[in-house]
Amino acid sequence: MSSPLILLPGDEVPSEYLPSTNSAPLRLGAGLRLLTQPSSNPSKPPSHVIAATQPGILSTDNRKNAASILSTPNRRYIPTPNDLVIAQIHHSSPDYFHCMVTPQAPHALLGQLSFEGATKKTRPMLKQGDLVYARVLSMGLGAGAEVELTCVNPATGRAEPGGLGPLTGGMVFDVSIGMAARLMRASSSSPEQQEAVAGLVVLEELGKKLEKTGGFEIAIGRNGKVWVDCANGGETAVKSTVAIGRCLSTIDEHDLNPTDQRKLVTRILREMKIES
Amino acid sequence: MVGPTATLTPLSRADGSASYRCPSTGSNILGSVNAPVELPARRDALRPEDATVEVFVKPGTAPGGVGERYIENVIKNMLAKLILGREKGYARRGVVITLATIGGESVGRGDSYLTLLPALIHTALLALLSAAVPLSMTFSATVLAVNASGEITREPSEKEAAAATSLHALAFSSKGHLLLNESQGAFDFDTWEKVHARALAICHGTLTRTSDGDVAMAEDVDGQPLEGTVRETVEDKLHQDYAWKTDAP
Amino acid sequence: MAQAAASAAQSAAPSLSLPPSQFARLQPHAYLLAHLSPPPATNQPSIRANGRAPSQFRVTSANTGSLTHTNGSAVVRLGDTTAVCGVRAEILHTEDIASWSVSRSTESSSAPTNKRRKLTDPTTKPNERIDSKDEDDNESHIQDFNLLVPNLSLSTGCAPGFIPGAPPSTLAQSLSHQILTLLHSTRLVRAEDLRIWYQPPNLGPEDLECHNENEQMDVDASQEDEKNKEIKAFWVLYIDVMIVSLAGNPFDAAWAAVLAALRDTKLPRAWWDVDNEMVVCSDAVSEARKLTLRGLPVSSSFCVFEADAASGWRAVVIPDAEEEKELDDSARKGNQRRWILADPDGYEEGLTQERICVVVDKEQGGKGKTVIQKLEKVGGWTADAKELKALVDISAQRWEDVRRILNEQC
Repeated sequence: MSSPLILLPGDEVPSEYLPSTNSAPLRLGAGLRLLTQPSSNPSKPPSHVIAATQPGILSTDNRKNAASILSTPNRRYIPTPNDLVIAQIHHSSPDYFHCMVTPQAPHALLGQLSFEGATKKTRPMLKQGDLVYARVLSMGLGAGAEVELTCVNPATGRAEPGGLGPLTGGMVFDVSIGMAARLMRASSSSPEQQEAVAGLVVLEELGKKLEKTGGFEIAIGRNGKVWVDCANGGETAVKSTVAIGRCLSTIDEHDLNPTDQRKLVTRILREMKIES
Repeated sequence: MVGPTATLTPLSRADGSASYRCPSTGSNILGSVNAPVELPARRDALRPEDATVEVFVKPGTAPGGVGERYIENVIKNMLAKLILGREKGYARRGVVITLATIGGESVGRGDSYLTLLPALIHTALLALLSAAVPLSMTFSATVLAVNASGEITREPSEKEAAAATSLHALAFSSKGHLLLNESQGAFDFDTWEKVHARALAICHGTLTRTSDGDVAMAEDVDGQPLEGTVRETVEDKLHQDYAWKTDAP
Repeated sequence: MAQAAASAAQSAAPSLSLPPSQFARLQPHAYLLAHLSPPPATNQPSIRANGRAPSQFRVTSANTGSLTHTNGSAVVRLGDTTAVCGVRAEILHTEDIASWSVSRSTESSSAPTNKRRKLTDPTTKPNERIDSKDEDDNESHIQDFNLLVPNLSLSTGCAPGFIPGAPPSTLAQSLSHQILTLLHSTRLVRAEDLRIWYQPPNLGPEDLECHNENEQMDVDASQEDEKNKEIKAFWVLYIDVMIVSLAGNPFDAAWAAVLAALRDTKLPRAWWDVDNEMVVCSDAVSEARKLTLRGLPVSSSFCVFEADAASGWRAVVIPDAEEEKELDDSARKGNQRRWILADPDGYEEGLTQERICVVVDKEQGGKGKTVIQKLEKVGGWTADAKELKALVDISAQRWEDVRRILNEQC
């Protein structure tokens, strides 16, 4: 991607930038909308153009035949179906847990039974403040509808992708939602590819350095939350957790490049006296 | 002349923010946008399918007064037309825009806000862009003063504005529509048409339709059109944010 | 949906089972649209739901001097919108103005140049010209010392939604501000009318300062008096506007009420009594004088009604301004149609976003050319230069009407 196409709201996407590989319908992601061009001649069908509604870089995926706008990284999170989020339980009612996805939005609903293998008897008893790693099931229809979360794939009854469900122990850090998306891409690719895919080497680097102290577990929510736990870390567990959090938020704030990321990881681990 | 300078996302806690400085009028504005936010109680009941836009203007030193209420209303009416309040996640929510004057002359009681208006709405626009609030178009704005001899001054200083016979603040959408016009002082329609043409040239630098000869003399005088300044500010920020992606080997 | 309802209303008018008033409440946009776009076969002109033509204003009436305890008052009715305005004058001593001594020292330095200009060309320029020049220097008194204090309140119950005990709404606050800036920018009230002078008695030549002797011979006695005159106090005009009934377009009504009340305002003769060190007013009605206002700025408001109820968010390509200019009004069809409505009532204001306000005056009491004092447009992109030009012409006609209405009173 040599020269990315940057669009401002109202700009039309030139058709040569759109994927045109197959006949499958084009999927429009965030920041784009389809506009009809009212034709002066009523007999002709109206033509269509795709225009941006948010400023950002046009990103296209030829394989999925999709296009979307990569917008500014510190905007507010808006739930979209199939996003993985880290939610905090606010209170529970007979049928639902009411969870907080972002502090400003109304509570999202998580069914008491939408956990892997949950029945009336075996459902998890979550208290206020507990964390869950969940998938956005639906946005609801119309204005003011509630967002619904789930920790289970309704079709299979399994926690798919793995790891959905209550998060115990550990700690949550806030990052920008652009950073969360990058971490997500990085963590879903193999360690060697992380730099190429998302410009992040921090996870790989931390993984290597903390291997001896027991490694760490990480869950990334698209809502700009990262949960980290070093359950096997023994006495350095808390220290390592905080160190990881510090690494991630510093990289987020200062837009560090891979070389600086490596340096930062080394420096923070040294400062916090975590042997590596 | 020195063009305005702008910074995107200077504040890290707000969803979007921008600071904007116009050296010729001396105004310096810091703006933040939080969107979408939940609105208290039933303030959203009037138009349930749309977002509610709220604008707050804070003057530099004094608490806000009637002048601020008025200018807030003007900015709100203008932006409400451009914000796509029915996009996903925005219906029944609020888009809260806060604009604070942090430099330049403050506006006293009964003084006109016109010299400050372009800086305010540019800041609001950049903050909205920084928060990635869906918009149908972008815009640019300028203020012009006409003095007794009919001379038009672009973005007048406080002194020039006080000496002018009429002041005009205009905003144009990225497609060239007149979005906002606020004129005061005595003038006739011919003067206004001249002001309109000049403002369009300042904001757009277009004048593409003019056939021959008289093309865009104003373009040289006014330098880069403001539309371009807005675009460049956003592009620079995005290049910086996505450096990991674009500079990747 | 609104579209469908509109066409249904047109085609099936006889079988419409809802009474019109209910239809107006349920589908306000479609109701107004159906009125404005009569079926082409009937050849009827567009007419608004309130029976007016698009550029027709409501019946306006004014009555001045009805409040006896004020210095000037007026009631203006614009259809169902009623504004009451009272002007109360109070005395502000210059010694109570903190910045007075500071501003006076700068003023006195500029005074000689003033005088010279008066002496050099009293004949070549028309009187009025000098007048205005002279005032320019001191006109800032009104703004600097806040000698005009307008306040607008929307009274409880003037429209549904105005409940008792609520703080001034943002509408009331911004209207107050608009009135104040318009008073300042049109310079309607002359600062000279608001000054209360102290005229020291002429004590003979020995008391004159020595430099006066060197002055030109043609400096006459009155000129010297002028020199010794001193501003001791100002009249402050408290202009209170109350919207008694609000049915749209409050600004036009409020401004017309302010204008009529100021034209009606009489200030008693006042002078500085040096013995008692206070300002004394004469209670003789014959000695009271009226304010001499500059011109007669008249405000006209408009709104733009779009045929497409969803124009703000419908996913269609917004045509460029250039393309839009090519489209003639007659060529617009269906959703693209739009109407500019003069003097919108409350029902129409609820259906429109784009507002235009034009304040015009005419030079030399109506014979001269039209001067625009304020041109404001916000909330959309329909009205461009062409439309605004037409609106200025309509406002100029409106100026004649309002002048006639106001002149009937005085």
